[in-house]
Amino acid sequence: MNLIIKQRLFSVHRVKSNLQQILGFKTSCALNLFYERDDKGGYSDNRKYPSKIQMIRDGLKELKQEIALWSEEMKESFESDPCLEFRQGETDVAWRFESEKSLEKWVVTSDSDHNEGFSKCSLTLSKHGKGLFSGVLNTELPKDGRIKRAGYCNMKSMRARKSFKRDTHLDWTPYNILVLKVKGDGRSYMLNISTKGFFDITWNDTFNYVLYTRGGPYWQVSKIPFSKFIFSSKGRVQDKQFAIPLNRIASFGISAGDKINGPFSLEIDYIGLEFNPNHVEEFAYEMYETDRYIAGS
Amino acid sequence: MLRKSILIEIFNYCKYRRMLPRLIILSNLKANNFHTSVLFCKDSPETKDLTVYQNFEAINNKNRNTYLEMVKIFSARDINRRGHVEFIYSALKNMKDFNVEKDLDVYKALIDVLPKGRFVPTNMFQAEFMHYPKQQQCAIDLLEQMETNAVMPDKEIEEMLLNIFGKRGFPLRKFWRMMYWMPKFKNLSPWPLPSPLPNSMLDLAKLAVARISSVDIQSELTVYETKDIPEALEDTWIVSAQSRTQRRLLTEHDTNKPIYVEGSFRIWLKNTAINYFILRADPSPRTNVKYDDDDVSNITVPLFSFITPPKTEVVPVPSVHEQEEGVIFAVCVTGTSGRDSLLSWIRHLEKDGNPELASIPVVFTLKSPERELVSFENANIKQ
Repeated sequence: MNLIIKQRLFSVHRVKSNLQQILGFKTSCALNLFYERDDKGGYSDNRKYPSKIQMIRDGLKELKQEIALWSEEMKESFESDPCLEFRQGETDVAWRFESEKSLEKWVVTSDSDHNEGFSKCSLTLSKHGKGLFSGVLNTELPKDGRIKRAGYCNMKSMRARKSFKRDTHLDWTPYNILVLKVKGDGRSYMLNISTKGFFDITWNDTFNYVLYTRGGPYWQVSKIPFSKFIFSSKGRVQDKQFAIPLNRIASFGISAGDKINGPFSLEIDYIGLEFNPNHVEEFAYEMYETDRYIAGS
Repeated sequence: MLRKSILIEIFNYCKYRRMLPRLIILSNLKANNFHTSVLFCKDSPETKDLTVYQNFEAINNKNRNTYLEMVKIFSARDINRRGHVEFIYSALKNMKDFNVEKDLDVYKALIDVLPKGRFVPTNMFQAEFMHYPKQQQCAIDLLEQMETNAVMPDKEIEEMLLNIFGKRGFPLRKFWRMMYWMPKFKNLSPWPLPSPLPNSMLDLAKLAVARISSVDIQSELTVYETKDIPEALEDTWIVSAQSRTQRRLLTEHDTNKPIYVEGSFRIWLKNTAINYFILRADPSPRTNVKYDDDDVSNITVPLFSFITPPKTEVVPVPSVHEQEEGVIFAVCVTGTSGRDSLLSWIRHLEKDGNPELASIPVVFTLKSPERELVSFENANIKQ
């Protein structure tokens, strides 16, 4: 289903830091038709590994947790008693922001991390003990002649995983609505659901939708049906759209990047899921048939 | 021996022999939907002689008219229009300075610089391998800039692009994508704002307060003048919003407990930030009674009573103003955001249906925004 040849020709959103591109005149991303080199798209972690002894020590420490996790999984599979009833109006919380520990499940990035801009952001606990995603957005370009656009801040949940650091996917098939309880500042934010798969062609599959915030002292509960999410890859809306595969959720993220310079703040109470039997729409966008070789090329 | 120019002439003739009938058809189109090339330009030649072509950066009086004049000069300069791709790129780069980045007509004028018919592929290989790639990429970048500035193209742009690149041109595909998605996103916001935003601060403040108080449809928006309060020091306006429920909550408030004027908080209306203040009290304690449905140890069975027993654990549904962080009584934006204007706001609220405010202690906890923010111009720039 996901094996769709992506249109990457005009992906000039973020030019990769390849040396080739600095030398040549190319203004678009490298068109790697056959394979992707790196699942981070060139933004690899440059931190040094700790010493071997340290790694063994850390590994043994983690082993304990991993075995606990594994035994938990085993117990679950033996019991084989999953929740089967999902009632209307009940929200199952996927992520709640209430303590420092709950913030550890999230990775916060901005363009200044890779010297590609000057935005700064952080995910902290607010005065009232909720998650506060805040920072300063800056669309100023670094003067290296390479970056065309700047100004994003992003928070992303850790990749869903099983014990012993095995990747897995979250299964949201029983639900059809995403629920967020947030308190924003009037800006609009982007919700990103990554459905990264095994093959390189699915590495950058993301489903996006906008989170509008009212602003003000009141909390808002935004309910967004999954049918409205738009398929995109590397920040580009794709021509061949399809509904989000809810059994293959790799991670969830919120990004701020509305091209408005200045501070932003988004207070988050929880991110939840809901099943609404009255919402029957599977995919909100009409699929026009185009001439051959026009769309998706 | 044939000269090079003659060779090119022959080559061009061969190349466009198939194109010729199509071009003739194109030139017979109606004038309103077809932009003629420079050959048919109606400009009087004497103006052309007087003007000198210069850079966009060199122009002193930067506005829409001078921008369009530059495009006109370039188009009329010579038949070949050498360097038109570079010209369009430099024009795109300078749009912000001329304040035309949201102007659809300007984008049309720039697309019109590209020659019609010349870049239309004549066979399938040309179509597939991006005929005239530099020109196509230039048009794509132009459309991209339109998208970035939220300018929606129209039918005329489609016709222009069709005439320039043919129906299999990559700019056309970009255009069709834009026309598929942009109308979908255009009116998506549940809190729509006028475009462009009003300039006056009072109108913006009204929009902001209306947006905040849209949680309660009973909210009433009032504009007070500080000069109506005799002891006010500042002369400014206050946009305040309060609903009937909030008035009731204020009457129910314990007069011994203080209420707070808090702020300033920030709300963004598109690219304008507005500071607002709230009047709030500490949250009312919520009685969270744990009730075990399965506990059957203590059931009172009414023998001769036929009315249902009164429920003791029932509380009224809290209104939207009773938030977890506190009870919000009113929201305001003032012209100066000063302490004195907020004092006048409380006085006005007292006069305007909240007489309890006279007996409740009001604490002003005004502060700068929640966290100290580094101004991004002065942030350390590491390259």
